[in-house]
Amino acid sequence: MKTKRVLALGLSAMMAMGLMACGGTEAPEDTAGGAASTQSDSGSKDEAASGDNSLTIWAWDEAFNIKAAQNAADIYKAENPDVEINIVTMAQDDIVAKLNTSLSAGSYEGLPDIVLIEDYKAQGYLTSYTSEFADLTEIAPAENFASYKTAVNQVDGVVYGVPFDSGVAATFYRTDLIEQAGYTQEDMQDLTWEKFIEIGKAVKEKTGAYMMTLDPSDIGQIRMMMQSAGVWYTDAEGNATIADNQGLKDAIEVYKALVDSGITKQVSDWDQFVGAFNSGEVATVPTGCWIAPSIQKAEDQSGKWAVAAFPRMEANADSVNASSIGGGGWYVLKNVGHEELAKDFLSKTFASSVELMNTLATDITLVSTLNAAAEAENYTKGNEFFGGQEIFKDFAAWQQNVPSVNYGLNTYALEDLMTEAVQAIVGGADIDSTLSDYQAQAEAAVAQ
Amino acid sequence: MSKRTKIANAVQYVVLTVLTIISVFPFFWMLIAMTNKSVDITKGTLLPGTYFLENLKNLLASDLDFLGAFKNSLIVAVVTTVLAMLVSSAAGYAFVVYRSKARERVFNLILLSMMVPFAAMMMPLFRMFSKFNSIPGLKLIGLNSYGSVVIIAIATAFLIFFFRQNTKTFPKELIEAARIDGLGEFGIFTRIYMPTMKSVYAAAVVVTFMNSWNNYLWPLIALQSEDKRTLPLILSAMGSSYTPDYGMMMTAVVISTLPTAILFFVMQKQFVAGMTGSVKG
Repeated sequence: MKTKRVLALGLSAMMAMGLMACGGTEAPEDTAGGAASTQSDSGSKDEAASGDNSLTIWAWDEAFNIKAAQNAADIYKAENPDVEINIVTMAQDDIVAKLNTSLSAGSYEGLPDIVLIEDYKAQGYLTSYTSEFADLTEIAPAENFASYKTAVNQVDGVVYGVPFDSGVAATFYRTDLIEQAGYTQEDMQDLTWEKFIEIGKAVKEKTGAYMMTLDPSDIGQIRMMMQSAGVWYTDAEGNATIADNQGLKDAIEVYKALVDSGITKQVSDWDQFVGAFNSGEVATVPTGCWIAPSIQKAEDQSGKWAVAAFPRMEANADSVNASSIGGGGWYVLKNVGHEELAKDFLSKTFASSVELMNTLATDITLVSTLNAAAEAENYTKGNEFFGGQEIFKDFAAWQQNVPSVNYGLNTYALEDLMTEAVQAIVGGADIDSTLSDYQAQAEAAVAQ
Repeated sequence: MSKRTKIANAVQYVVLTVLTIISVFPFFWMLIAMTNKSVDITKGTLLPGTYFLENLKNLLASDLDFLGAFKNSLIVAVVTTVLAMLVSSAAGYAFVVYRSKARERVFNLILLSMMVPFAAMMMPLFRMFSKFNSIPGLKLIGLNSYGSVVIIAIATAFLIFFFRQNTKTFPKELIEAARIDGLGEFGIFTRIYMPTMKSVYAAAVVVTFMNSWNNYLWPLIALQSEDKRTLPLILSAMGSSYTPDYGMMMTAVVISTLPTAILFFVMQKQFVAGMTGSVKG
């Protein structure tokens, strides 16, 4: 009896101590922590926020998306000086985790009014949380943007996102290495993967440089090839199409040919990928236009680069010299409390401002998906690093040709499966039987 | 002490040297990278550069409030560690010193909680903590407060288990003697037990501080406003760029590693003694 009482007493003392000590130490810290971090202060900030004069924006990449948001905020504030705009840098995965937990718990405290969402993930959010996103049809009509971007931000004809950066694919290449290999810039135009491999072999032989990098854990190359033929892992209705998908099959075959030809340098992560072209180990980088700033980091290679359209697949009649990878759009969370202000902000900046797109072209090498941006002054300026080429004009032109596909809800889940499948096929497995094996798994993943 | 022992020794040293190089290399590379330009790091430079001040300047000028995050991490880690020491050691002590029929059952229940992965508890916890903000008096530990991160780390199954195991080696005679001399139960705990178990506390401090300092998942979802973010969250935000500034990132990583490294080296001796569990009463 007695021991029980002692134990009970001890336990309750423990709890009391925990709570007491917690209160005791927390309180003074809050005051010492400065105005911004105190509990009561954040309370009053919320109140100010509901006064409809502040906006919070979440995005990733300080050097790119955040800069863009800041420029937009500057433009908006020039007209509306009393609006406070709070821009928060956060890793993309972190944004995903926070949105998922908060939206599924219905807790809006601390959530942003405007959030950047990657195109591949957009449909997933819009389907799971349709009622959380504001209807932006009026401020961002689909016809104002590159057509391939507006397939991902709509559900049942309602536009929920303002398309932002272009992921238009391009072949960045070293003019000096290509010429040493006996080819000209002319050969790089209207390129096919077959020709690409031919040039690659010459480059490898004459200069020692690899033609491009491949990362076995990231099959973005296959995604780009596939989209160039107008197909995806899923069809227009969102059903998994792994088997009997000619575009996918052709893409995997080109990929295997690339690996087998010995002209690719294998890398295992992003750092090595960037390192390979910064240190001059590869002659081309076929990927999204957003890689341009990373290429330009190697100042000693200035003037040696040029950009051509993305290669098409010769075997596939549907394949064109244009594709896309990555890219995102701005979405408004309507239940956070500033829906109208957020819409007004987007309509005056990302959804319409050619002036903004013009400054972003030089500040962050942004290729806008706003059709009107093609008229921006900076789009017709030559870029010294790329030998004076008017790269924006080219990007904007290729962008118009990117085939529009339905990314579906599960791009990343399917991609995990396909990464395995592709490795098996590259390793020698039969392509048709492997793809039909994975079809069943893909259907299961989509059904989830 | 023949030739054979000499050879055995030599082999041992070679193996140890290789292992040391493998484990120290990332730190070495981190320090080197801190002094180089981002583009040189991706090229694989292994020599110290002259870019450190520039990296530091970029870091401090960045929109990500690095110093603020450092401060947040420090507040959370220190408060968590102090409270965890008090609460968990008292629990571990009680589980050994006070007898009761329910004791083992309660303890097993606590151990069982170690088996549940955090990811499984995350959603329920999140919902629970989001309710706290509307209950007066509990706002201190509601979502988006330092308290929400502190409170779930102060009574962990591991720490209670750790203190209970070590308390078993604590001489009961000391408690008996103190009781006879008229010292109260609380006094025995604070004035006899705590000083004797110094090395155990040291080990627990190092582990708890490090866990709190490195904790990522819960602070990520619990701390919503940007001015409350801790270091791992800031580092994660820094890494997710199309064109990361590795030099700046490495500078941030080195600075964030310092507190745990210093704490460990200061307490190294006690830490080892505490982990091996010898109490010299």
